[in-house]
Parts: sequence; structure tokens; C-alpha cells
Amino acid sequence: MHNNIRPPIDYSLKFVDLQIQPRRTVTSPIWSGIESKEIPYSANYQNVHEYIPWRTLTGRIQFYQDHKWMQLFGENFAVYKPLVDAKSLSNINKEDNTLTLKWSTAHQKFGIHSTYVDLLTLQTLSRGGPHIWISESDAKILGLKDNDWIEAFNKNGVVLARVVVSQRIPKGSAFMYHAQDKVINTPISERTKNRGGVHNSVIKVLLNPLHMIGGYAQLSYSFNYYGTVGSNRDDFVVVRKLQKPTWSKKQKSQEAL
Amino acid sequence: MRVKAQLSMVLNLDKCIGCHTCSVTCKNVWTKREGLEYAWFNNVETKPGIGYPKDWENQSKYKGGWKLENNELKLNLGSKTSILLNIFANPNLPKLKDYYEPFEFDYEYLKLSNEEYFPSLKPISAITKKEIEIEWGPNWEDDLGGEFENRSKDYNFENLQKEIYSEFENTFMMYLPRLCNHCLNPACVASCPSAAIYKRDEDGIVLIDQNKCRGWRMCVSACPYKKIYFNYKTGKSEKCILCYPRLEVGKPTVCSESCVGKIRYIGVLLYDQDKIEQIAKTQNKQDLYEAQLSVFLDPFYENVIKQARKDGIPENFIEAAQNSPVYKMVVEWKIAFGLHVEFRTLPMNFYIPPLSPIVNKTELFQSDEVFGNIEDLSLPVDYLANLLCASNRKPIVSALKKLMALRGFFRKKNVEGIIDEDVLKQVGLSINQAQDMYRYLAIAKYEDRYVIPTLHSEFHQDNFKKQGTVGFLRNDFGG
Repeated sequence: MHNNIRPPIDYSLKFVDLQIQPRRTVTSPIWSGIESKEIPYSANYQNVHEYIPWRTLTGRIQFYQDHKWMQLFGENFAVYKPLVDAKSLSNINKEDNTLTLKWSTAHQKFGIHSTYVDLLTLQTLSRGGPHIWISESDAKILGLKDNDWIEAFNKNGVVLARVVVSQRIPKGSAFMYHAQDKVINTPISERTKNRGGVHNSVIKVLLNPLHMIGGYAQLSYSFNYYGTVGSNRDDFVVVRKLQKPTWSKKQKSQEAL
Repeated sequence: MRVKAQLSMVLNLDKCIGCHTCSVTCKNVWTKREGLEYAWFNNVETKPGIGYPKDWENQSKYKGGWKLENNELKLNLGSKTSILLNIFANPNLPKLKDYYEPFEFDYEYLKLSNEEYFPSLKPISAITKKEIEIEWGPNWEDDLGGEFENRSKDYNFENLQKEIYSEFENTFMMYLPRLCNHCLNPACVASCPSAAIYKRDEDGIVLIDQNKCRGWRMCVSACPYKKIYFNYKTGKSEKCILCYPRLEVGKPTVCSESCVGKIRYIGVLLYDQDKIEQIAKTQNKQDLYEAQLSVFLDPFYENVIKQARKDGIPENFIEAAQNSPVYKMVVEWKIAFGLHVEFRTLPMNFYIPPLSPIVNKTELFQSDEVFGNIEDLSLPVDYLANLLCASNRKPIVSALKKLMALRGFFRKKNVEGIIDEDVLKQVGLSINQAQDMYRYLAIAKYEDRYVIPTLHSEFHQDNFKKQGTVGFLRNDFGG
């Protein structure tokens, strides 16, 4: 642990560099790689190359979680658990031409969480705005073509986006890669009378009590990393085609500015 | 025999993860200028798909490449006279909508907006500056985006029962990074009415002389890979220059340098210039792959070295040819193939076909079962053959088997501690070769991937003449 914080040997900063943006200099004690110009950043570098034991009970990489709470919840190993019914669809009227799909918000390809998402180059390589992936067979039922506008909603909220129809999505699922910000190409929702939402609009934050385990080998509290984070992933949404997206009336065209 | 040297690239598709870092870095360096917003000298496509520009592989539409007529090579575009007749209205050009309409956002609006709602930007055209709907992009089919019905218009599905691949269970995909192939028999050079395009003598890079180009755009049609782009601002065409300012000082191209998966290799190939015409005229398109191999010269062969010296190939190029990773993969191991050799341009970028998951088989790498299942790869061999070998299956199967044998061999060695030479023997590899392949394909160190000799510009160009001249667009750089 003592050599976790080390002086930046091969790194020099000029005042100008700091005026442009904040810079990383020292190796962080939280992460297991090192900051160096000699090697690319890779996790577990210190453990492997400097013989620092992993911070587990065994000192090695281990998958088995040897904690009473984990045992009680049956999560000693990574396991499949069915969806928690968060009652997101209660009191939602089943309209015609809608489908109930399983909602997943996986990591996306053209950004790191919300970073770089609104970069023009990456928007160009992507679809130029928020989009939801659904399967071809579901699209057929909903009468959707690739790039149509769709609306996904449940009790929690609404999200509007373009649709990507693809054969690689299993039937019954809708993927919206997370953190595609609504600052780009997002219409107004008729339901909420507000800007059309993001991937988390239709999701309720559920607290996983197991994240409150602390002071036990690697299971110790760390801000924003291993703390009581919300487990806000899978849920169900109702999807339908959006006939015509509405935009803010006051929204001026770019030339007017 | 006339010996020439070419800097050539191999792309190992088995390792491509489709991250587009090559495209983004290339774009940042070369085409982030007015007039070329829609151009990507390097782009990555998800296959199966129709690609960028739409349907580029379909030469009945764009008339790119060469055809063989009465044993004579003819441009698909037509004769010299017909090119001249069409000079003011070339009917075979891709339109902007075939590429895509470049868009941008007015990010400033987010700060200035006084809407009652949270502000959101609508795309505006980078060309007309008017609001547009985004309908297509340079990577629209990313990770199989879009209906199978449209994507399966892919030219490589020819002679395949494609319907079954539309099912979720039979889905397959691969990434295909594309750039100018710096062909040995370039159709763009032949089509130019102003003789502005030339293949550089010293390292075979195909370039457009920006002073001679008159913007007739015949090259845009003639290039079967659609890798020449018209700059509507300067009225001249531009293309990938293989980052020659970097290559000349021994550095790899930007796309190679930035490649995350370390899939790219650059090295020298020596070839016999006298043979090119005869090879491009190979009767059966399926023989074109083998024919092209015969043009490459063994850099260890004494006569070749002697002749190379006589033909003015510098010593460091000969030495680089001997250490060339490209020569090893293309000629020695025969695991890398040119893209669509049937276009007869003799492309000089080579692709190692990707392995894919084996479906419907439970037992893998039982020594005699290693190759039984080549047909069970989720990526149909016929599709790869259409893409890389003018529908000739044999060389593709042999390459895939070599790659599988390599994995089988090292798996046994590392997991069970057994040296199983038989696995290698079945595909005609020796243990030494396997170790070499492992070094180049799996370890892939920087100095093994890029063996680039520095250029002796004193032999090739009049540097005094070049003084003060710059690249594509003088005004852009404040010159």
C-alpha cells in the first residue's frame, strides 16, 4: 500500500497545461493501475507487477463472496435472478398497437457513460441522437421501420427516441444504451408535457441492501464505487410508435440566434 | 523482372472490435475540413450490410474497377472516349444521399435557449445549415442496425441462401475497416482525364496531384472501393494518402498507430512490375488470388536482391522486406487476402478472415475434430470467400484452418502441457512457424507490427522544387 501514492516520475506539467484542463498526475490509491507514460493504464498492474496482494480475504482474485449477508441472499457467486416486479406497469392502460418489452440500459459504444456522447464525430458514427434498439419481430407487430420515432413509457416516466430495428436483439427486449443525453434531438412528450426523457426516466431506483456491507475485506465502502449505489437497471416498458414528434413552440431555429 | 517496393497493410479482422478509433483519428487529422465533412478516408463497416457509401460493392451500379473483354483489360466505366464524352455529367457517381448528409449541432443554443422546456438540439445540415432529419450515416448499420431485408442487399450474399441468416439464432456479423487499397493496377489512375493520379514510385502510395486535378470525378466512379472523395469546396478530389509524411520518417499511419486491437501491420512487399498486366488479365476471377501472390518476390532470394539493387531499391527497403510482417502473412502463411480481388485492381491491403463462434457443436478441439466443423462457424465461409477471394473457398478455408490449428495447438500446450505437432501438420505448419504466427498475431509487438523503412527522399524528389508547397488545401492552413 505504501507505494500506491508515488511521485510522478515521468510526468511534467507546465502552468499552461493546467490552464487548459485538469490533469491526472499521481497514481490513485483507489485504482489498481498506475499512471505512467511507459505503460498503458491497465487494471491490477500493481497487484501483478509489484506483488501487492489483492484486497480480498485470500489475497487473490476471488469470486466467492464469503459474507453472511451474501449467503442469506444467495449471492455468494454471480447468479441469475429474475426481474424484481417493481410494479412499473400497474395502472397503465393497455392501448392498441403497443407492446410490453423488457427494458435494458447497457453500456454504450460511442461514449463512456455520458462523456463524449454529444461529440459530433461520435454522433455521426452513431445515429445522431438517442435511440432504442428493438427486435425485427417486435418492430413488425408495432408497424415500425428503422429510424421511426417511438415512445417508451411506464408508471415512472416516458422516453422518446428513434428506433433501431435489428435482428441481433432478442424478441421481447428493448435496449437503450445508457446516458444518451436529451440535449440532442429529443422531442417533447405529450404525456409529461416535458422534454422526452432519458433511459432512466422509466426506471425506479431500488436500493440493494447487500451494497451496505462494509469493513469486510474488499467489501468496504468507497464513495461512488462500492457504496450504497442504486440498482437501477432492468424493468418493463410499454412501447408504441410515435406518429409525429412534437417540438417546443418557442424553439427557435438556429439562424435566429 | 523489374523490382518495385510497396508499403502494404494487413488488417487482422479476427481482432477488430469495431471501435472506430481508426476512423475518428483519421477524420481528425485529414478530413475535418469544409468540403469534406462527408468523407471518411478510413471507415469501419458492420457486415453484412450495404456499407458506406450505400451499396459500394455493386459495380453494376457504380461501374468501378476493371473487366476482361476479349482478353483485354477495360475499365468498367467505359473506354477513354466514352469517359471524355461524359466528362461534364458523369452518370455513375454516388450522390450525397448515398454517402450521407453531414450534420452538426449548434451547441451554443443550449446556453442561450429561453424555452419553457429543457433545451434539446435539432440536427442541422453541415452544408446548407438548415434543419434536417438524419436518415443515413457513415456507420448506419453499426452492430447490425436496420432491417435484415435492407442489409441483406449486401453484394457478398451472392449465391447464398440468405433467408436463414435473418433469424436471431443464425445471426452473424463482422467488422470491416476500409481504406484506400493503394492497388497495383489502380482503376482511378487509368480513369483520370487530367492524369492527375499517380502511383508513387518509391513506396507505391497512390496520390492525387492537387495541382493537376480538375475535379472531373471519373476516379470517384472508377475506384471500386469508393475511396476517392470529391471536395466540393476546392473542386478537387482527395483520398487516403497512407499518411505518407509519417511513413517517410518510419512511423505507422494514424489509423494503425491508434488501433486499439493492434490489428494493423505495415511492411514492405517487393513485387515484379513486369508481371502486373498479365496477372490482372487472369481469365478466371477465382484464380486472381493465387495470381496476385505470384507477383510478390522472395526478399531472401539472391537474384531478387541483386535485381532490386539494380532497380534502385535502397538497402533499407530490402532489409525491411526481409523483416516484413506483411510478407509473412500474405505470402508465407497465406492467411491474408485482398478485398474483392475480382475488381482486378490488385488491392494491396490484406485482410485476415475472422474466426467466429462454432454453432451446433458441443465438442471442440478434440484433435481430430478441430477441422470437422469449419462449416459450423457462424460466419459462412462462402460469405468470406465472396468478400475476400472472388468466391474461391479453398484459400479461405485453408487460412481459417490454420488459425484454428494455431489456437488448438497453443490451447493444448498451455492447458494440458502437450506439444501436439499433428494438429499443425494437418494444415502444413511447423512448430517454428506456429511460434512465429503466435508472436505476430497474438503478442503483436509494436516493432513487429510496423517494419517501416525511412524514405530516401534525396533519390526520389527534387526537394528544392517542393519548397513552400503544402498538402491538400493551401488556404486552409493559412499558407
